[in-house]
Amino acid sequence: MWDTKNVLTGSADNSCRLWDCETGKQLALVETNSAVRTCGFDFSGNIIMFSTDKQMGYQCILNYFDLRDPQQIEDNQPYLSLPCNESKITSAVWGPLGEFVIAGHENGEINQYSAKSGEILKVAKEHTKQINDIQSSVDLTMVISASKDCTAKLFDSTNLEHIKTFKTERPVNSAAISPIMDHVVMGGGQEAMEVTTTSTRIGKFEARFFHAAYEEEFGRVKGHFGPINCVAFHPDGKSYSSGGEDGYVRIHYFDPQYFDFELEA
Amino acid sequence: MRETENMEAELEYDDGEEPSFSDPEDFVDDISDEELLGDVLRDKPLEADGIDSVIVVDNVPQVGQDRLEKLKNVIHKIFSKFGKITNEFYPDTDGKTKGYIFLEYSAPSHAHEAVKNADGYKLDKQHTFRVNLFTDFDKYMSICDEWEAPEKQPFKDFGNLRHWLEDSDCRDQYSVIYDSGERTGIFANDVKEPIEVEERARWTETYVRWSPKGTYLATFHQRGIALWGGEKFKQIQRFSHQGVQLIDFSPCERYVVTFSPLMDTKDDPQAIIIWDVLTGHKKRGFHCESSAHWPIFKWSPDGKFFARMTQDTLSIYETPSMGLLDKKSLKINGIKDFSWSPGDNIIAFWVPEDKDIPARVTLMQLPSRNEIRVRNLFNVVDCKLHWQKNGDYLCVKVDRTPKGTQGVVTNFEIFRMREKQVPVDVVEMKEGIIAFAWEPNGSKFAVLHGESPRISVSFYHVKNNGKIDLIKMFDKQQANSIFWSPQGQFLVLAGLRSMNGALAFVDTSDCTMMNIAEHYMASDVEWDPTGRYVVTSVSWWSHKVDNAFWLWTFQGRLLQKNNKERFCQLLWRPRPPSLLTQEQIKLIKKDLKKYSKIFEQKDRLSQSKASKELVDKRRTMMEEYRKYRERAINMYNEQRPLRLELRGGVDTDELDSNVDDWEEETIEFFINEEIIPIGDL
Repeated sequence: MWDTKNVLTGSADNSCRLWDCETGKQLALVETNSAVRTCGFDFSGNIIMFSTDKQMGYQCILNYFDLRDPQQIEDNQPYLSLPCNESKITSAVWGPLGEFVIAGHENGEINQYSAKSGEILKVAKEHTKQINDIQSSVDLTMVISASKDCTAKLFDSTNLEHIKTFKTERPVNSAAISPIMDHVVMGGGQEAMEVTTTSTRIGKFEARFFHAAYEEEFGRVKGHFGPINCVAFHPDGKSYSSGGEDGYVRIHYFDPQYFDFELEA
Repeated sequence: MRETENMEAELEYDDGEEPSFSDPEDFVDDISDEELLGDVLRDKPLEADGIDSVIVVDNVPQVGQDRLEKLKNVIHKIFSKFGKITNEFYPDTDGKTKGYIFLEYSAPSHAHEAVKNADGYKLDKQHTFRVNLFTDFDKYMSICDEWEAPEKQPFKDFGNLRHWLEDSDCRDQYSVIYDSGERTGIFANDVKEPIEVEERARWTETYVRWSPKGTYLATFHQRGIALWGGEKFKQIQRFSHQGVQLIDFSPCERYVVTFSPLMDTKDDPQAIIIWDVLTGHKKRGFHCESSAHWPIFKWSPDGKFFARMTQDTLSIYETPSMGLLDKKSLKINGIKDFSWSPGDNIIAFWVPEDKDIPARVTLMQLPSRNEIRVRNLFNVVDCKLHWQKNGDYLCVKVDRTPKGTQGVVTNFEIFRMREKQVPVDVVEMKEGIIAFAWEPNGSKFAVLHGESPRISVSFYHVKNNGKIDLIKMFDKQQANSIFWSPQGQFLVLAGLRSMNGALAFVDTSDCTMMNIAEHYMASDVEWDPTGRYVVTSVSWWSHKVDNAFWLWTFQGRLLQKNNKERFCQLLWRPRPPSLLTQEQIKLIKKDLKKYSKIFEQKDRLSQSKASKELVDKRRTMMEEYRKYRERAINMYNEQRPLRLELRGGVDTDELDSNVDDWEEETIEFFINEEIIPIGDL
């Protein structure tokens, strides 16, 4: 939540929980029929959304609850519940003003679901394989999608216009947009079962930095010895962190040269 | 009626006389011979019968009566091989035989045999028999005088089949199979990035092969092989061979040999077929037991002969007749392996020990079949033949178990082909051999020996004065294969597959390591035909990830990394031998400085053009991006009131938006307690 009063978590234990950040007390519990894949607060902090997986006969559903109406949580009755029939949602973030949710699907599609009516406002069919992660820019004007098709793509949040593509040779598990520079960072790797056939050398899995405008890679950071599952920039843009399959979270602070670096243009 | 009357008349006969049963004098019977004796008539010998069994032999020596008996004996001896001779006729004139004879056999099949086998028989220097069926003379004499011209086939213009050699920047081509075999592309090798020339889906069903001079690209299909070429890679020829698995070209590109395990029948050998490339006709079919050592047929370097080895036999065939040389195979008991010199029509083969006779390597000249060199070898376990590319040297790698020992020791027997009587020098190797390779166009060879992890590479020079010097040895190498540049002097040592793609680039003129690098999990190394570039690649067939091919200079400088989805195979297109004479090549080498100035200028221009292009591209992209960001930020600013409203008037647009809201609090924490005793007061 924007004022860091509350935390919303979703889990494979078929529940979504609301907590008080300071005390750690559980404030609310919503039970679901299948694992909760993704969740989040809207810009105002009043509305929460979460999506459930397609499992054991249950559909993938996108649920909206209004926290100002405690009855919804108590009765487990979201004011809006959208089933996704074709392809389950794998990752989702809120739009800039809480009007819609931008969701990535298993088939590579990205859809905007209205938080008011539930209809699909915009569609982007740019990726060819599963979306692994979607993150917003700090001002929420852009989102970056990380896909199994070995690319990450930059979209405008409001109209889902495809702006940039960043290509690699490995599936991309996560991507983030720098808050202060025209940079994006991406992390990826192989699926768990194929890891033993790739390099077993230490630190072969790298976080890769691309220039957002030129779509060119300009740097790599080694260190993880397993696929990278998640990357994020610090809100002040002076550092970033990555979490990997190897069980480590790494935090890197950028050298002064990082901020001065420019590609010839 | 009349007959009855007559009979009645004759019934009046006197006693004692026999009745006459003759026909009356004017009797004419009206029953034909055919009706009465049909079956007998059918067997009536025809005047023409027996002609089918007659042969005419020409170029018979003309002899007088005194030598006629001897001649007849000789002829009889030769020709009764084909059947029973029932008749012979030696026409003569002026006391001498005319020079041609007639022989008759008991059956036409014998006559056919005689024609097939005796035609062309060399009796002596001046007399080579010409044998024909008697009936053939008739046949040929009666050929219609009117000659009908054969129907004109439309000319299939495939364009300039050597078109790729005319590229102004001398770019070599290579074929790439990717998408796990679904797509095949032909690219021109440009230093900046590969230029796509042609790309087709499902061009081949398994893999592709270039012909030895680069003229054709062969693709594999269930129904056979297709050849493509010319500027647009049109289909030039098709060979129908169901289930074809392997192919081989003759060095001159005139013939293609295809193998399919499916098609063989006892009467019609179809496992291996030899085709004429230009006409597309099947020239000859052969049986084949196993394709384990493809190519089964090995070609002489000029394409005049091809040979294969079967149990105890070496069969050599000649082109274009496709018949056995001298009409018979060579019986070589125990023959284990053979190969042609790449420079001359010489075959090297070896046979293992046989009781008291030691193993030996033999060099045989074709077509004379003279054994120009034989080398005995003792206690041999195995031999391998390695020819130098021009046929200047032959190296026989001999594995032996010396008497009284258990272990296997390896020697290299180096045959100097260009020197009189082919002297042989021996190089003894102390360790097991992993790989051996001759320098193409040169007189050096490289050997990888030892056992992982202690592998060494040694470089030897075969000198003119009869010595073979060890020039240099490097130890602790991670390599299992040697790849010489096709022009010699440079080579790449590679540790492929299980050795994770370690690469070492060596200049053998002074045996220095120019560069040590790595292409992780590389499965193949391919030099371009000019020796300027090396491609290392990770094939999807051997490793399922990171499939790509990398381009290096011959010195080991990495130029490009080309990732291709499920990349399988890259093959450089071979170049035909240069049309320049040695003098012209010398002249060009002399003026090389002049030419390099021009090329350097061209390179610099294109490089600056490339950076200029890149810079321009970046500029455009940045401008577009800025414009987009401006629009987005404008909208963001316009939405500010909405944001404030959503968060109850709290401004969160900046990290430090609400400084006023911040409270500063000072907190004290207990960190540590330390007791310092002060001495008793």
